[in-house]
Amino acid sequence: MNVTKLAARNVYRNSHRSLVTVAAMAFACAMMIVFSSLMDGVIAGSERNVVAMNTGDIQIHRHTYRDDPDIYKMIESSKQLSENSRQAGFFAAERLFAFGLMASDDSSSGVQLRGIDLVSESTVTEIHQHILQGDWLKKDDTHGVVIGKKLARLLDVSLDDEVIFVGQTADGYMANDSFQVRGILKSIATDIDSASVFMSNTMLRELISLPEQGAHQIVIMRSDRKQDLAEATRVVSALIKQDLEVMNWQQLMPVISRFLETAQVQTLIMLLFTYIAVASVVLNAMLMSVFERIHEFGIMKAIGVSPWQIIRLVYAETFIQTLVASIVGLILGISLSWYLQQYGLDMTSLADGMTFAGIALDPVWYAEMSLSSALIPIGFLFVMAAVAVIYPAVKVALMRPLEAIHHQ
Amino acid sequence: MNLNVLAWRNLWRHKRRTLITASSIAFGVVLAVTFTGAGDYFYTRMIDAGANMGMGHITVAAPDFNRAPSSKKYLQQSEQLQQQLTQMSEVKSAMARIQGQAMFASAHKSIGGMFFAIDPQQENADNNLFIKAMVAGNMLATASDKTIVLGVDLARKLKLTLGKKVVYTTTDKHGDIVSAIARVGGLFQTGSTEIDGAVALLPLHSAQKVLAYQQDEVSVIAVILHDQRHSHLLRDSMQSLDTFAHTEVLNWQQTQPDLAGMIAVDKSSNYISQLLIALLVAAGILNTMLMSVLERKREFGVMMAVGLSPYSLFLLVMLESFWLAVLGLIIGTIITIPWYLFMSETGIDMSAAYGDGFSFGGVLLDTVFKIRLFEESVLAILIGLFTLALLSGAYPAWRAGRVPPVESLKAI
Repeated sequence: MNVTKLAARNVYRNSHRSLVTVAAMAFACAMMIVFSSLMDGVIAGSERNVVAMNTGDIQIHRHTYRDDPDIYKMIESSKQLSENSRQAGFFAAERLFAFGLMASDDSSSGVQLRGIDLVSESTVTEIHQHILQGDWLKKDDTHGVVIGKKLARLLDVSLDDEVIFVGQTADGYMANDSFQVRGILKSIATDIDSASVFMSNTMLRELISLPEQGAHQIVIMRSDRKQDLAEATRVVSALIKQDLEVMNWQQLMPVISRFLETAQVQTLIMLLFTYIAVASVVLNAMLMSVFERIHEFGIMKAIGVSPWQIIRLVYAETFIQTLVASIVGLILGISLSWYLQQYGLDMTSLADGMTFAGIALDPVWYAEMSLSSALIPIGFLFVMAAVAVIYPAVKVALMRPLEAIHHQ
Repeated sequence: MNLNVLAWRNLWRHKRRTLITASSIAFGVVLAVTFTGAGDYFYTRMIDAGANMGMGHITVAAPDFNRAPSSKKYLQQSEQLQQQLTQMSEVKSAMARIQGQAMFASAHKSIGGMFFAIDPQQENADNNLFIKAMVAGNMLATASDKTIVLGVDLARKLKLTLGKKVVYTTTDKHGDIVSAIARVGGLFQTGSTEIDGAVALLPLHSAQKVLAYQQDEVSVIAVILHDQRHSHLLRDSMQSLDTFAHTEVLNWQQTQPDLAGMIAVDKSSNYISQLLIALLVAAGILNTMLMSVLERKREFGVMMAVGLSPYSLFLLVMLESFWLAVLGLIIGTIITIPWYLFMSETGIDMSAAYGDGFSFGGVLLDTVFKIRLFEESVLAILIGLFTLALLSGAYPAWRAGRVPPVESLKAI
């Protein structure tokens, strides 16, 4: 007996029912492909906002600096260390920090000054491209600063407005200077948006009277994004040969890294719920199709078809429908995901700004397609369909031929 | 003939099929209750916690203060406004506060942050999150002493302990930079590093003196409501009152756009997932009803031949879908009640996955997952369910009404 051919004919025989079943499965499958690629995209986007905009892969500090950011706790040989990391195939940049008060005409706000190396910073972060208004810092501009979006609102300043900084120098005097706002950044994270002032590290050194050498933080970025993060952290630790704290971003921000991990679980839960609904559609469709043909199955058994062959037949019918559904679902899902990958899902009408655990989420969500975001929904679909038809298949396979023939 | 009885009997002619479809409806009900209930619970928690963090459900502020806060923008005659507010029935409490940016300096170093100046007489643990979050020392005792309460992370960074002095610098009413000194009286820990590392509480009258404000001049009046759902309506009705003519009345969506944004996005993704599952349940109902109609062609032919109108046949099938939905609802309710009771009383502790908590739109989220349904959500679920069942029954019912009597009698 040609099981496949028979199954195909049976599926075709009740085209109405098969159509609704296939459509339900295809729809669910397409939605799940879109859902998981969108989730992947949002996760990758927030990871990018954390890593590529601010923390980098790995950071080096003096011990206790992060708990107690004191301007005297500098890494003295920072230049040498960054040079060594670059030779080992990493990107590295030095950063300096200081705190103080920034005042505009109307109001004032406590700020964190971030002195960055204009040349090497652009190799580790993409912050220079994350400008909302104006321009990024320029090398020969000795009074230009770039500030966070919320800080601009708090101080009520716009481009080219003057702001005054008041703080303490490293040698205990009053630090006081005026600056021009050259640029305003897009949202990155709550603390950066509301309190950060970016300037070149030479400007900051002069303002706070910091020594010529040294930095508070060295940011390291892997040149090969596929290199394992923990492995890279070990390589960097081995490289520096000093008593410094070396941590990767997952250790620096455990809540976010945990959140990003659990997002994967959320996708799976969503998948499970949707497919339970799909399974009930499949189960019911196959039950109906099997029970209305009990008479037929009885005759088949009477002429010598084994129970095993009947199970194979029912499974083949389900398999054909699932296959058609997954092809349709794949085409639909991939085209929709592709669209979302190109143009994104614009949430700005719903929300101006979103933050999660202090990290800003981009209001335009882009999907990110990968093999797993297409294959997991399809694989799941086959498993669910197979589980759903166990009952009808076994039930009819074990029925006695005579009973089945007389069944009405 | 009673069509209802007929429809009910027809359903039970195929027990297995009916039960499976009904349980898929029941499954949909359980999911809808869980999803909507989680939303109702979670959003209310977030909104209330956000309101208790300083600005209230509704904020009365000087014009333009919310867009660009500055000490130059302040409310006058705050006591009068407060009195008016507390008389409103929706209002639980109304507190006069000053909100501002400041730099805090110890002998060790200086850090930027923000302060809330409050009158301790007006504040309690129900309208002020920080009182609940005290971990050391005491909350401010009076509105005019020289103490300050700091977030634990802020105190740690400044290397301050209880009783130590701190200098805060800010801009006053006239735009001049002013400083004052205060002693650390207590520490709070909300669990969110963004807040614990940046916020300080000051006594209201002391802050007024520093900022050159009069006794009844403050920057905002934070209004806490009995029910956050009224914030939008109440704001609109307040805006039309003369009392608030020279002020700006804002609801929490405007003062906390980050939180409102996260909630709006979460809500819509929640609805989309529910819609998705609803469509699948509908496909199940459609399939069941369509099959049952198609296999009863002959029966419908006979019924028409004995004089039933096409309309009664349509009605009959619609009633079958309706009773199927009722059955699904009953099964669903039986499953949902213990589940709902468990989830609303105990909940699931997610701290293993998330640690002590994390912030959502700038508001700290607790890690026990609970659900709670508003009455209107229950209504929405019920309406959704029956609409779904009747819509997916419509096509099969229409097919049933179109059965040509003679031909269908010939069919086997």
